Amino acid sequence: MFRQFTEHIDGNQVYLLFSMFIFLVFFIVVTVLLLRLRKQHVDYMSDIPLNDCTEETPNPLKS
Amino acid sequence: MQPEKFYYDNKIVRNFGIATVIWGIIGMLVGLIIAIQLYQPAMNMHNQYTSFGRVRPLHTNAVIFAFVGNAIFMGVYYSLQRLMKARMFSDVLSKIHFWGWQLIIVSAVITLPLGITTSHEYAELEWPIDILITIIWVVFGINMFGTIIKRRERHIYVAIWFYIATFVTIAVLHIVNSLEIPVSFTKSYMVFAGVQDALVQWWYGHNAVAFFLTTPYLGMMYYFLPKMANRPIYSYKLSILHFWALIFIYIWAGPHHLLYSTLPGWAQSLGVVFSIMLIAPSWGGMINGLLTLRGAWDKVRDDVILKFMVVGLTAYGMATFEGPMLSLKQVNAIGHFTDWIIAHVHVGALGWNGFLTFAILYWLIPRIYKTELYSKKMASFHFWIGTLGILFYAIPMYWSGFTQGLMWKEFTPEGILKYPNFLETTMRIIPMHVMRSVGGALYLSGVIVMAVNLYKTAVRGKLVADEAAEAMPLEKLRPEASNERWHRRLERKPVLFLVASLVVILIGTFIELMPTLTISSNIPTIASVKPYTPLELQGRDIYIREGCVNCHSQTIRPFRSETERYGEYSKAGEFVYDHPFLWGSKRTGPDLQREGGKYGDSWHFNHLMDPRLMSPGSIMPEYSWLIKQKLDTNTTAVKIRAMQTLGVPYPAGYDKIANRDLDKQAKGIADNLAKDKIKVKSNKEIIAIIAYLQRLGTDIKANKTANN
Repeated sequence: MFRQFTEHIDGNQVYLLFSMFIFLVFFIVVTVLLLRLRKQHVDYMSDIPLNDCTEETPNPLKS
Repeated sequence: MQPEKFYYDNKIVRNFGIATVIWGIIGMLVGLIIAIQLYQPAMNMHNQYTSFGRVRPLHTNAVIFAFVGNAIFMGVYYSLQRLMKARMFSDVLSKIHFWGWQLIIVSAVITLPLGITTSHEYAELEWPIDILITIIWVVFGINMFGTIIKRRERHIYVAIWFYIATFVTIAVLHIVNSLEIPVSFTKSYMVFAGVQDALVQWWYGHNAVAFFLTTPYLGMMYYFLPKMANRPIYSYKLSILHFWALIFIYIWAGPHHLLYSTLPGWAQSLGVVFSIMLIAPSWGGMINGLLTLRGAWDKVRDDVILKFMVVGLTAYGMATFEGPMLSLKQVNAIGHFTDWIIAHVHVGALGWNGFLTFAILYWLIPRIYKTELYSKKMASFHFWIGTLGILFYAIPMYWSGFTQGLMWKEFTPEGILKYPNFLETTMRIIPMHVMRSVGGALYLSGVIVMAVNLYKTAVRGKLVADEAAEAMPLEKLRPEASNERWHRRLERKPVLFLVASLVVILIGTFIELMPTLTISSNIPTIASVKPYTPLELQGRDIYIREGCVNCHSQTIRPFRSETERYGEYSKAGEFVYDHPFLWGSKRTGPDLQREGGKYGDSWHFNHLMDPRLMSPGSIMPEYSWLIKQKLDTNTTAVKIRAMQTLGVPYPAGYDKIANRDLDKQAKGIADNLAKDKIKVKSNKEIIAIIAYLQRLGTDIKANKTANN
């Protein structure tokens, strides 16, 4: 499979490598940001859909 | 600070829900009709307005933009209000959005059967409707951002990120893929030609799947699944990673629709690599969904809504594994142009989009009507008949796809094609097509049962048009908030979020599109390739009107099995005057790129009048109206001028004398037909389409003659 890429990119390897490099950097940045998130905040965000302040779901303001 | 009382707008949610069900039934019914047409040509009803080529886009547009589109708005309007703890920004904008969207769909229902089409797949609607779509999309955007701005919840939950990414990316895709020059109120020419047009179209086509059929549904999954299972999403961190990786990677994968075509090799390779990388974020989303149900699998056994969700997510997982596999060149060589792709698409559409939509409808309608679902038994029946329908649809189509893909490529030990007659491969798969329509009918019957069930539910309850809720208004941020982590800050800044999403999708877009659109060496020109004559140009527009591209490709891949069958493989320079490109994506019939000169004019005449006259057993519709209808030559001049504007080198002032050349060429064809005892006036449409078909792929042969 990889031979197929290396043989058919017609001297534009740099293009492919550059594109993948951009993604790698992007991916690392997002991962680092994720690792730095606090658990408290993550729990808060996860619970947002379960609290829509209608009669059917308990309103935290009234608890 | 006192809590504020406000009301969620459920009426707009209900309206989009009704539209979803009605258009879903219509779209699927049209799908069933065209599925039957593929083994029973009489179902074309001997009528131009119901022939396969014109109605197939109606099916795809109806299920994508009418069924799924309305379902998206239903889900977004319900979840956005609750996640933001605010009513929609403006009731007026909500109404304009709703009725505007229905107007767009009705316009499609009218124009597509009339043959008014750009021929770009899933972007067939002509320029006035394109403008209307843009306006309504902006209305939706204002309404969505207005709601976000007046929210009572500081942080923006992951579902809304998906909605924001959907909004901004669909806007970019729609605008770029609709760059066209109008020649009349109902006709336009694409700005790009040939390879460039193909790249733009499949960048759009692929990302329409990504940002219309996937991202809004992932957003809805992240809201509705926790609600249905009454537990938070499995991993919020995974949802962040999944979101950013998905929108970054998806935008690059379009060229996998053009493998082995004349698209520059580096662009194809980029498309393949990013398609394979796409498995990771796609499966990240699926796993996050399925694991949300951890510890709740006992509920899945009893709860039909969760059953729909589980099968929907599994279908998403299968389709997003299969997609990258199909983008491998070796697999694509067999799968492309066959029913395999139809199977792949329908696993996603019927399983993922369909089942998620049904789950949301079953969950949401009883809630906004403050009642119980009318019949759980009927819902359970719907689930099982729907699942069976998907199986009966997909399995025959996979079988048919493998059969046809392999038959096209099979050689005898002597080295000649084993099935040189394309029709033989078509007739072999007809039983599978019959089975597929049975699957489609089962699936549709389930949807009709659902419609009855939901109607009875609504009648039993009463719509809570304005649902009361209470929440604290947003306080001003304390100064220490400025020290917050970067992503946490991003989660409360919607406009910044929009810009960040836009930047992410534009990176791939620019790197992939710009070189092919701007560097001429990517498309080597061929001296003998000349612009179409006026008659051929008119004929080409009839070919577009009749939707021939839905069944016939015009691109020959560099395989021996294709060059033996069709002739010399395609060159990029052959398509430089093709506004729009007509490469197609499916070979229900044979490729036509080298059709010119293969048969005489009289063969084409008889074949178009009744395909079964020349090819017994053919499933092609008849085109007898082309013999009766007069060619409209009033449009020739304006068409030539539009082409000149786009850079097609007709001589200056040619528009004024083009019809003289048109008449001359038409008389030549009519005389030719007369020799074979076919009497037809030279001013009929059939003459123009014969001229076009006889021109196809011949320029390159002229080059060879010159060299010899």
